[in-house]
Amino acid sequence: MFSTVNKPVERIDAYEKVTGRAKYGADLQFAGMLYGKVLRARYPSAKIKKINVERARSLPGVWAVMTAEDVPCNEIGVIIQDQQILAKERVYYIGDGIAMVAAESLETAARALEAIEVEYEEIPGVFCPIEAKNESPIHPDRRDNEIIHHKLRKGDVNKGFADSDVILNREYDTQFVEHGYLEPEAVVAVPHENGSLVTVYGSVQNIFATRDAVARCLKAGLSEIRIVQNHIGGSFGGKDEVVSSMACRAAILALKTNRPVKMVNTREESIVESYKRHPYKMKYKVGATKDGRLSAMEIEVVADGGAYACQTPFVPWRSVVQATGPYEVPHVKTDTYGYYTNNVYTGAMRGYGSPQVIFANESLMDELAQELGLSPLEIRMKNILRNGSVTASGQKLDRHEVSLAEVIEKAAKAIDFEEKYKRYSKPQSGDTRRGIGMAISYRGCSLGAEAVDAAGAVLSIQKDGSVYLYSGLAENGQGLKTVFCQIAAEELGVGMKHVTFLEANTLISPDSGSTVASRSTLVGGNAVLNAARRAKDALSKFVADQFGLSSSDLVFEDDYLFTLDGKKLISFAEAANKAFWAGVQLSHVGWYVAPSIHWDEEAGKGNPYFTYVYACQMAEVEVDMGTGEVTVLNMAAAHDVGRAINPEMLKGQIYGGVMMGLGYGILEEVEIDEGYILNLNFDNYLMPTSKDMPTIIPIIVENPDPDGPYGAKSIGEPTLELGAAAIANAIAQATGKRIRSLPLNLERVLLGYPLKKGRGKK
Amino acid sequence: MIDYEFIKARSLKEALDFLGNYEDVKAIAGGTDLIVDIRKENVRAKGFKRLLDISGLKELEFIEKERDRVVLGALLTHTSLIESPIIEQHFPLLASAAKTIGSPQIRNRGTIGGNINNASPAADLLPPLIALKAQVKLCSVRGERTMSLEEFLAGPYKTNRQSDELMTEVHIPLVNEDYLGNFQKIGRRKAMNIARLNLAILLGINDGTIFDPRVVPGAATAYPIRFGKVEEAISGKDIKDIDPVEIGELASEEMISFTGVRWSTPYKRVALASLVKRALESIFQEAKVDE
Amino acid sequence: MSKIEVNITVNGAKHRLEVGPKERLIDTLRERLHLTGTKEGCGVGECGACTVILDGEAVHSCLILTAQVDGSEVLTVEGLEVDGRLHPLQEAFIQHHAIQCGFCTPGMLMSAKALLDKNPNPTREEIKTAIEGNLCRCTGYEQIIEAIESAANELQAASH
Repeated sequence: MFSTVNKPVERIDAYEKVTGRAKYGADLQFAGMLYGKVLRARYPSAKIKKINVERARSLPGVWAVMTAEDVPCNEIGVIIQDQQILAKERVYYIGDGIAMVAAESLETAARALEAIEVEYEEIPGVFCPIEAKNESPIHPDRRDNEIIHHKLRKGDVNKGFADSDVILNREYDTQFVEHGYLEPEAVVAVPHENGSLVTVYGSVQNIFATRDAVARCLKAGLSEIRIVQNHIGGSFGGKDEVVSSMACRAAILALKTNRPVKMVNTREESIVESYKRHPYKMKYKVGATKDGRLSAMEIEVVADGGAYACQTPFVPWRSVVQATGPYEVPHVKTDTYGYYTNNVYTGAMRGYGSPQVIFANESLMDELAQELGLSPLEIRMKNILRNGSVTASGQKLDRHEVSLAEVIEKAAKAIDFEEKYKRYSKPQSGDTRRGIGMAISYRGCSLGAEAVDAAGAVLSIQKDGSVYLYSGLAENGQGLKTVFCQIAAEELGVGMKHVTFLEANTLISPDSGSTVASRSTLVGGNAVLNAARRAKDALSKFVADQFGLSSSDLVFEDDYLFTLDGKKLISFAEAANKAFWAGVQLSHVGWYVAPSIHWDEEAGKGNPYFTYVYACQMAEVEVDMGTGEVTVLNMAAAHDVGRAINPEMLKGQIYGGVMMGLGYGILEEVEIDEGYILNLNFDNYLMPTSKDMPTIIPIIVENPDPDGPYGAKSIGEPTLELGAAAIANAIAQATGKRIRSLPLNLERVLLGYPLKKGRGKK
Repeated sequence: MIDYEFIKARSLKEALDFLGNYEDVKAIAGGTDLIVDIRKENVRAKGFKRLLDISGLKELEFIEKERDRVVLGALLTHTSLIESPIIEQHFPLLASAAKTIGSPQIRNRGTIGGNINNASPAADLLPPLIALKAQVKLCSVRGERTMSLEEFLAGPYKTNRQSDELMTEVHIPLVNEDYLGNFQKIGRRKAMNIARLNLAILLGINDGTIFDPRVVPGAATAYPIRFGKVEEAISGKDIKDIDPVEIGELASEEMISFTGVRWSTPYKRVALASLVKRALESIFQEAKVDE
Repeated sequence: MSKIEVNITVNGAKHRLEVGPKERLIDTLRERLHLTGTKEGCGVGECGACTVILDGEAVHSCLILTAQVDGSEVLTVEGLEVDGRLHPLQEAFIQHHAIQCGFCTPGMLMSAKALLDKNPNPTREEIKTAIEGNLCRCTGYEQIIEAIESAANELQAASH
């Protein structure tokens, strides 16, 4: 049915990556290049009384030493502009930059930083979001510490609880988590290059967001700033605001010194400065009837936004929409809040407000099932969303297949859930115990009513029939380039080797918003499809005229154009050549705007997303009852993606997402004590190794979506949002103890509570 | 920023001369701990001005079996311990500990001498080496001396090495086939772990009766030491009469008697008891099979 | 600071260098020899992105001073391809989709190469052990393990 799409074609960037040729930000060299470094804060909350940079400036090899005073516009932010490029008067968190230098070598830069004298006055900080609610505002220009409050309302929860036979109240909480991209942030800013005021190359997740920040910071026009993405060593939502800030700093230094300036974070600098996944404190109240039907849910979520707003205005919005889980609940009242604190700021990370609430709502479903004497499968099957269901936000699901029952069934079958659940429910003895657990989710695809949702792509057929393509969305390692080329190749009926993908560049690519929210294949893929169709239409019309046919009589396949009955007319290359010399337009812009959606912030309801994906993950674990060690043995992950554009890359997303979910569930935590970050490198911020991985059974479910390119929807984020919840449920079955906070590390599993070392005295 | 001068030792003699001539010298072999300490500017990496590279001293990379002991060159890597048939045959306890260190890259560079001299409370080779009653040989221009590893360790990250001395050899007395050992380790993940707790137990078992027991937990006390009360409790007993659970709890009590109650005690109290129980059960099992 | 003379062979090419006492092998490879395929992810020997093969053994180039390796031979990812022909491991990584962002890939390949050089027929568990010191945040390791298994088979078949 397809020739390129739905096939496991090779990644187009694989050759560069296996040979070491692929250039990442830190690999770039320019003549006369200087090295930029940043002096960071000593305290998480302090006044800066004085900065003396004279000694640093006088060191040989030092070209510039700059402070907030030298920054044209010091505050950036995609939503609220409160993030300081360099701390001015006030330190809000431990990762704040105080001053920066550009020097001829890294060592000179480091010596210059040591020579900067800063006088601080410590100010008591606020480190708990719940306390932040009533504390005086951290940012003096704000009324209070509330960054955002979102609500969702459906029916009447009081009535719903009155009608319930069982009511449970539970509290859950989650931790700070680091993205852990293997490549620390890196940029090079080059002044006055290719018509730009400044060009920034580097590991930038979202070139347009970074461009907007640099332009704002320099008080320049958007068209003066050229951001070019290189190969990027992972991002997972993480190389946005923190890299924008780095790009601003490098740009200022480059313009000041009139030299290219490279900035590369060490891992320690990356962890201390970069934003994290939001820790959530969640209160759930659920009511159900005796037979296990949900009657009401009341939810309150408090997110720690840290020092800057960053994505906090939006992250809890996804949470407010999805907090009940994928269930039909007649009465719902949900409130999500984000507060400023003096902790490291929090922002986008793969999942974006979903893994936290899924851990809570899926733990809760198991707790409720236990209370009612039902199995985890039974309670879910009674309550899941199905075709025609109305979600918590009041959206009727009638445009696509609501496949929860299918993903549950397939995952359960693959891992033998029912049989194992029964077996592990019987009393176990010995040092190790086993358990199996599940979690399900629905996830709104793309940005939803958060923002404008449109993307563009440009496709150009050359006179030899080869094709180049670029878009405003960017490769993050997930395989976007390959997927976009597959879509173009499929539509044009040409082989993948004829399609070249160009790197994203803000002075060429159409502004397509950000590469986030698992929207690239869906929204960006539609833009590529649109561009390819336009080019194909132009070529079709030209060729049809030549042969006295109509466009609809032509089939593009295997690098040739055929008639409907299979007669070979002309090769694609020859057709392109003739068309070019006939003056036919072969370069086309494709544009796609997502179907309209709406959200009523006041009423707390609406149709927040135009489509959803559905998933189920199940985990089988073994717990060492004497040490608290958890071994995840097997996981099944069933995901309805609409259509798999590249099944092998899709599996890669599933394996990787499962791993990140496992890390979130049992290992990872950025430990923060009164604003100080205790684990600054991978020797104590522990991520899963090859030895930690279970056997994973990826299950691809395809129910094509009417709005997706070839029916495709999303996969990046759904894969990681379920693992922690499924593992937590499995551990609860194995141990007979329910732990309501993450991560389920040695201490929590053995003792039921965490142990904190504390940072000791500085 | 830590600054230093780099000197490469071409021979042991050259290294000892250098150590004899200067006081502010730090020796580097595999560098897997030291380079990290220098990067982090850890206190224990401060105060030296000269870095003496001994990694090229091939004469310290050997394993030799003698009549009643095995002599190990201090520069043997963890990988060579793991791959050595002599270690495999005589001290499987040591090989199993070495396998749990870091990653292949670390095991290929890190050395037995480095592991001992870094003297981390969580060092994985210390408990088995103490249990095996290893001796260390220290050389200097003044001469050489040998002492037990137990005596050599002086505290967390502290040893009794004099500034002009270099550890050149580790001697492990051979034990007969009556001795059975077991190594246990808890880490937060399945590889690349610093021990949350580790444990080496070596027991002589003759006709079901325990003699010469050696019980050495790591990361449990300020630095690894033998747990005398536990050893006393099982010495001379028949394995049939020993309740491993009870001995495990005794080990935890003994740990607390050394450390007092610290932030990690609630966890380690339970976990150490489990490890001791497990190690004993495993050895007893092996002893029964051997019968 | 006084300079130290070092002679090393990298990917078959001999180099005579004058290095400072703090220069790490990774700095020499990346900054002096422009072999930027070797990556720095942590600087403390925890991520494995900087893995190279030094005299036959996989090591962290971030934990070795260049001054220490006088007379040694180093193989980096750039040395895997010979006369324009990819190493079977590189081919297998491409075919098995063992790559996402690609930042761990060079180190991963070097660990895999060091394994297969010593043990041409590894079990799945031995493969996992060989790459336990190479963190990958994207792939969940599965397709990497499959690729190494497949390359091992390929190399075995070729040697018979």
